[in-house]
Amino acid sequence: MELGAFPVYAQDSVPLVKLSKQIIEAKAQADLYPLFVELKGLYFQDNRYTDFVEFLRSLSTKKNTLEPFTNYYIALSRYRQLKYLEDNQSWDEYFSNGNSYRQEIIDSAKKAIDATSARDPLNLYARLILWQLHKDLEDALHEQALLDLMNAVLEYAGQVKDYQPIKEVADNLFSQGEKSKAKELYKTYVTKCIDANLSDDKLKEMAFNFYTENNLDLAQLVYDVYMEKISKLPKETAIPILIDIAKSFSYQDKGPSDALYAENIFQKIEALGTKEAFNEGLSYLRAWNLEKIKEYISAKDIYLDLINRYPKNAHIDQATFKVGLIYAYALADIKNAKSYFEKLAQQEIASSSQGISSFYQLGLFSQWEGDNAKAKEYYNKLIEIAKDNFGDTVVLAKERLKEIEGARPIEYNLKTFMDLSLKEENKIYDMTKIELNSSLHKVNKDQAVSIASVAHTASTGCMQATLEYLWSGDLGLSTPSTSESSFNTAYKYAGTKAINLVVMSPSGAIDRSFDIVDID
Amino acid sequence: MNKKSRDGSQLKAKVSPLRGHFSIALRTVPTFLLVAFLLGMASIPKPAVYIQKLKNSRYRLIVDRKPYIVKGVCYNPIPIGQNYEYDWWSDPNKPWMADGKLMKEMGVNTIRLYQAHDNPEEVKKVIRDLYENYGIRTILGNWVGFWEYPCPFYAEEDFKEKIKNEILEMVRLYKDEPGMLLWILGNENNYSFSGLVNPWSCEEADKEPDPQKQKVIRARIYYSFINDIARAIHTIDPEHPVALGNGELIGLDIAATYCPDVDLVACIIYRGKTFGNLFKSLKATFDKPVLISEFGADAYDAYKNTEDQNMQAFFLESQWRQIYENLADNKEGEGSCLGGTMFEWTDEWWKHNQSDAESWKVHDTESNWSNGSYYFDIQAPKNMNMNEEWFGIVALSEELQDGINKRVPRKSYYVVREFWKSPILKTKKVKK
Repeated sequence: MELGAFPVYAQDSVPLVKLSKQIIEAKAQADLYPLFVELKGLYFQDNRYTDFVEFLRSLSTKKNTLEPFTNYYIALSRYRQLKYLEDNQSWDEYFSNGNSYRQEIIDSAKKAIDATSARDPLNLYARLILWQLHKDLEDALHEQALLDLMNAVLEYAGQVKDYQPIKEVADNLFSQGEKSKAKELYKTYVTKCIDANLSDDKLKEMAFNFYTENNLDLAQLVYDVYMEKISKLPKETAIPILIDIAKSFSYQDKGPSDALYAENIFQKIEALGTKEAFNEGLSYLRAWNLEKIKEYISAKDIYLDLINRYPKNAHIDQATFKVGLIYAYALADIKNAKSYFEKLAQQEIASSSQGISSFYQLGLFSQWEGDNAKAKEYYNKLIEIAKDNFGDTVVLAKERLKEIEGARPIEYNLKTFMDLSLKEENKIYDMTKIELNSSLHKVNKDQAVSIASVAHTASTGCMQATLEYLWSGDLGLSTPSTSESSFNTAYKYAGTKAINLVVMSPSGAIDRSFDIVDID
Repeated sequence: MNKKSRDGSQLKAKVSPLRGHFSIALRTVPTFLLVAFLLGMASIPKPAVYIQKLKNSRYRLIVDRKPYIVKGVCYNPIPIGQNYEYDWWSDPNKPWMADGKLMKEMGVNTIRLYQAHDNPEEVKKVIRDLYENYGIRTILGNWVGFWEYPCPFYAEEDFKEKIKNEILEMVRLYKDEPGMLLWILGNENNYSFSGLVNPWSCEEADKEPDPQKQKVIRARIYYSFINDIARAIHTIDPEHPVALGNGELIGLDIAATYCPDVDLVACIIYRGKTFGNLFKSLKATFDKPVLISEFGADAYDAYKNTEDQNMQAFFLESQWRQIYENLADNKEGEGSCLGGTMFEWTDEWWKHNQSDAESWKVHDTESNWSNGSYYFDIQAPKNMNMNEEWFGIVALSEELQDGINKRVPRKSYYVVREFWKSPILKTKKVKK
């Protein structure tokens, strides 16, 4: 059939004719929004962008008042078409028509803007498309286009009660990397929604929905407002709610989390309810959360608090061991590190994996300091206590003993890591230039884990600098080479495992780092 | 002569105060001398090539009194089976003649040579042939000792003296060639400041424990040396601008202090589809005109393991669009860009394994480096997606034509040609 001058596919004809009729007969501008969205869907689902543009042109001739919509959708269609051509590498059309499509986007979007006011969502959408094009081109107009868009949204927010377009613009800005501007608009959106007398429960639900959509920025904005409101409630009521929110944002290997935001809430709880609000489980979670984002000093303080307040807690050995690790390898404080490892080693039955590993750490410090006799003592004691258990730590202790017996220095990778971590003159190696992370931090025995690193080096263009990755510590079943910036491994024995890395460049060390993984 | 007198507008300012001394001169200077002086003054020619500074730190290149957009290519026509040591300058088949014809048909007006050959007559012949036959001008560069064995000793006076003399000799030899456009000092030498590539040091840097401060020390030493050379070039050749070659914008904040005498910066930029905020950043750190002296994309998809000419054309068209948006005449842009020289005219088959002569006969498909901005094939193993042997705007065929490897223009040849014919989108003001 023919609709105007434009042929339509048979399968589209019924809904298309119906929609066209509804569009032409629509009495109010507001009625056109859902109709055009539906219309767009008919064409976009099959990527028939040029067909859609032709149809829109035909439609605009039927009724003048449709022009802002047809112009906006022509711009949108061409924009999506260019993306589609690029994604699908349909280059012939891209090169032959790309420039004319871009021109159409500019011209049509501007017509839509000129024909609408700040009260029309269409005005925002057209500005959004225009900004997206300029941003893609990285041309000189993209900053002005963004400014115009932001101003238009704020003007719109001051005049209109339908706030959804504000969120739509914010979502687009966010997904395209304009996070600060997106947050600004999210804030406006949330403020407007709350002005509309949203109940606490609705607010909480809204925040939770954003959280489950993994839109954590927006979730946090709403939770901030929500927490502000509930902070006026009695402590007994407010604290459990805050704890739930903090838990949901705490670090987890999979799923949405924002450890820093969680810590901010933990601090709020602390301010509200003193430390009593933190039972041993919550204290451990808070410390672990900080440890995972390598806020080692704060993590150590919370672990120490946990040790002091709950000396019989289920994580006591793990917490004590981690305090030792942090003192040694984050703070270069061997004296304090030793005191915590000794605490574990001196337990009547040093049978936990952390107890065994403490002997290894104490032996390592002695060996590094040149006291081989003392080191041997620790390693031998470790082997004696471990018996047939803790095989990975026993292997490490035996390797060190062989070095001592062979009058050899500590294995190069490990010694380099210790030198950079513990020597006063190496304080510049402060773990800021390497990102080292395990894909999982709570792992079962034999479960596959990926350890990855990124070294932040100065740019060298197409001249690639050769970097060496000196891995040491608890590497599990893998022995990564110096050319590997990442490796896959698994652990056969439970315990707290520390993975060490130094990255070397031709002119010396770039930095060092360590990561801690808990094996159940 | 320093940069100030090379700029047309400032030259006027320098001449005009003489008028104030006219009456004194009349009484004290013989008439014939005065006439000769005035005649000389009236005919003071502007340099053949100079940079004109317009309002709001906008710059354009003027060549023979006309604005000139550098539509260039980097040129190093190494044939299949040879490596960088091959002397193409003395090739009796004159590859530059076939290339020049193709270039002219595409719209190329400039080639960039990284360094002149040892035989000056051969170099002159190439520059003249390209200019006289095709109107193509030459940018001549010098590595500034970057590849000297064992390393570039930029802190040592003997080394600097040797390099400076070599460069000044180059300028003396070619400055009078009508096809000369400008000089570029160095390429990506600034990447050595970090010590990661071509590391060099000095006592002062060795004593400094902070690597960041070491970088600053090396940058100061290097850029001061460049400025010293630029000043010396200006004294013997006032006719051509001198560019500081620089990898990305790294170190230019320091160059701003130590390189007042360079006329422009020639940046090597591989940022994928666009140059990002380069022009704006440059204005904030080193407010000089810029030539994008190396940019482009390879034509091999390391992920799909196949040649992809479209991918290369896509990046090049987009990069040229941004260059044009930042030319002086486009009021919306930063106005500091003078043009660009794409990397590169022909593929170079020797690059993957420089030490293995057999591999120079093979068009290697193994990638040499990684760059996430070239996103189509970044999922290649270990993200190694940049294929150094596949950057040619024209591919090389093993078939010979007129004694040289036949040139096969890639899609980018045609796409960029079309772009140059109609380069700019029309933008109108949007209602506020």
